[in-house]
Amino acid sequence: MPALSKLLSLPEAARRVGDGEMISLGGNSLTRLPSAFARELARQEKRGLRLVKTAGAYDIDLLCAAGAAVEVQSGYVGFENLFGLAPSYRKGVESGAVRAVEHACYTVIAGLRASAYGIPSQPVAGLQGSDVPGLTGFKEAADPYTGAKVYMIPRIRPRWAVLHVPYADAEGNARIEGGTFEDVLMSRAAEGVILTAERIVETSFFEERPERTQIPAFLVGAVVHAPGGARPGACPPFYDMEEEAVARYIGQSASAGGLAAHLAEWEERDHHPAAGRPAGGRP
Amino acid sequence: MKREISPEKRRAADRMAVFLARQIRDGEIVFHGVASALPMTAVGVARRLHAPGLTYLNIPGGVDARPAHLPGSTVGAQLLEGARAVFNLAEIFDLSARGALDLAFLGGAQIDSRGDINLSYIGDPRRPKVRLPGGAGSACILPTARRTVLWRTAHDPRSFPERCAWVTASGRVDRVVTPLCLFRKEGGRLVIESRHAGVSAEAVREATGFDPGPCEEAPETPEPTPAETAALQAADPGGVRFLEF
Repeated sequence: MPALSKLLSLPEAARRVGDGEMISLGGNSLTRLPSAFARELARQEKRGLRLVKTAGAYDIDLLCAAGAAVEVQSGYVGFENLFGLAPSYRKGVESGAVRAVEHACYTVIAGLRASAYGIPSQPVAGLQGSDVPGLTGFKEAADPYTGAKVYMIPRIRPRWAVLHVPYADAEGNARIEGGTFEDVLMSRAAEGVILTAERIVETSFFEERPERTQIPAFLVGAVVHAPGGARPGACPPFYDMEEEAVARYIGQSASAGGLAAHLAEWEERDHHPAAGRPAGGRP
Repeated sequence: MKREISPEKRRAADRMAVFLARQIRDGEIVFHGVASALPMTAVGVARRLHAPGLTYLNIPGGVDARPAHLPGSTVGAQLLEGARAVFNLAEIFDLSARGALDLAFLGGAQIDSRGDINLSYIGDPRRPKVRLPGGAGSACILPTARRTVLWRTAHDPRSFPERCAWVTASGRVDRVVTPLCLFRKEGGRLVIESRHAGVSAEAVREATGFDPGPCEEAPETPEPTPAETAALQAADPGGVRFLEF
């Protein structure tokens, strides 16, 4: 039976994202983030995007630098102990251009779970004594059985989950190696899934070990062959984070000209990543 | 990337990694999150010495990973090397939620007299003077983990105010490790437990924005032993712990 191919180019896939839409970004910090997709959203000059992620770094900061993001729902945005605060995210929030929706990582997860479970909100343990609920508007409710008070996190239902994975087939089956973070949950919580993948493999790759397919094709709307798509972040098992390149981005992101140069520098690799490489076959 | 670090900072990093390691009890289930180079190092020290039976959890989900080289990002895939199982981040939060996470390490840009932390905002959160990175898991972990140990590599009055103007997380703080001293939480307040070698009572008092309690009487924090120093080198030969300074 001929498989339905959902393969698109990176620009074609990014054009599916409309201004003002909510996108959850896969990966965590500088690991397995959808960097190439974020750069393409910036090149296409998207506006009004609402971003969701437990802990973000380059992807979120870049979309703030480009003026594409107006809202970030997250528990953490920064470059960890390596480079500290995320400069453009910080600037965006401090200037009022970006609305930070203050979460704990677990409340992002709870909101995504509510969406995945098909319910309007999800109770969550913790938050006592924190100013987060007051600022973000999380409400407490009494459990109907015991009367115990618990915070209820409203559903987070992104239009798209954008996930970068090591292996996918043309239909959209995907296998992640290493930490899966919130990617699997995002694939169930979002209305649609866009995959970018290091390797496009035959479907038989998944048939051999179906229990290792974390994202089944029926959830997925588009697949992009994007080797190096997490760079300058890491994508296990293929490559580690490039510290020098992250540092270079942080320097470039300080000005509009620098950011334009950054996006231009990566454009060739993002648009023609497969040059000299086979697109299919076994990993 | 090569980074320069002064001998003073090097010593502070070594001390803090060892002092954090001492907070881990054998057999505990221990978690650290993002931007946590010192606790990541501390886990490697503790399991080589007094806590070989600890269970180590991290964001990539590695259970008892034993990385040969620690990553600069404490979310790096190296934290799955040698792991025996994968236990996802959401499951770690669930574990804490049901009261079964023994020890979490959490940082704070500000840590106040009650052990409440601010990792979110300086100034009005609706138009902040400084947008900090956010508290990551802390607002849910701090009230639910059995114990939490906080650390902060800067010890000055701004970092240790009487009250945080904005509280990201509040809860079950056990100890706080700084470059100058250890605090413990007692009667709802942080009080000094020990001063590190060469740190005067006056220095602690001047660097702390709240009354730290009886600083003169506080004993000296035992310096890292040769065994601890050796374990530190073995755990972190690349010096990732220095990234926090």
